[in-house]
Amino acid sequence: MIAQLRVDDRLIHGQVALVWTKELNTPGIVVANDNAANNTMVQMTLKMATPTGKKLLIRTVDDAIKVFNNPKGSDMRIFALTNNIEDALKIAKNVKEIDGINVANVGRFANDANKGVQLSSTLMLSEQELTSLKELAELDIPVFNQVVPSNVKTPIKSLLKGK
Amino acid sequence: MIIANKEMKHKDIKGENMTEILVASHGHFASGLKNSIEILTGMGDKIQTIDAYVDQSDYTKQIIRFIENAQHPAVIFTDLKGGSVNQKVVLEAVNKKNIFVVTQTNLAIVMAVLLDNEKLTRDHIQDLINQSQVELCQIDDSQTESNDSDGDFFE
Repeated sequence: MIAQLRVDDRLIHGQVALVWTKELNTPGIVVANDNAANNTMVQMTLKMATPTGKKLLIRTVDDAIKVFNNPKGSDMRIFALTNNIEDALKIAKNVKEIDGINVANVGRFANDANKGVQLSSTLMLSEQELTSLKELAELDIPVFNQVVPSNVKTPIKSLLKGK
Repeated sequence: MIIANKEMKHKDIKGENMTEILVASHGHFASGLKNSIEILTGMGDKIQTIDAYVDQSDYTKQIIRFIENAQHPAVIFTDLKGGSVNQKVVLEAVNKKNIFVVTQTNLAIVMAVLLDNEKLTRDHIQDLINQSQVELCQIDDSQTESNDSDGDFFE
């Protein structure tokens, strides 16, 4: 089961590797990202960022969905990562067991960031991403923004009000 | 000298006991490290700092106050082995029970201690130190090998 599906531009990085894997108590990390699955250099940096003792799988989004639905994983707490909202939406629609979706860091470092819709200090979305996020927020799964565990969980629906 | 967070909370977000942490350095390394930890974890307020020699004040009193007021076990991180800050800390902490002094400090070890939930013994802090070493980043075969299999993942 997915203990948390996190949307983060940077996939595995300092906040994620040390802080969240500890907080969520997840022995397995799955990066669901088509680019990473096909790029050995990106895979290398992701492996480097994975804490000692944690297992890592890097898969295309479609293959990751198969991993999440594998009956062998039903008892395993998995921390899933995508770097965009569209991929998270696809996973959310195709995987049953997801405890929560954390839309954490999106668009902060995009080149056209100033053209986007700002939802919070860490969420800067394009119109298309906004549409996908609205769809995500309507699913029957808690969808929230929480960059680090000491932040409060802000429901995405409350950030979307009036947008 | 900049002193931060004289009033520390003893509980983390889960309500478990946390190790109290003081970082003492030459200049702003200590407060800079605290700033990095705030960005990474949001827990910068759990770290006390001494930025020594940025003005003329005597920081010895702050070391003594930390040792007296800290819930033990507590850890004092210093920047440089044998440096004056480290010497002062060691002199004050010697023979004090459950005050650990760690030197040659890096970001990884302070975060490891901060995020740790186990009771801090000498052996355990040594394990954390062993996992937090500076290292040369190099590409070896295991890192360029293709993805691990699903089977290994679920084992």
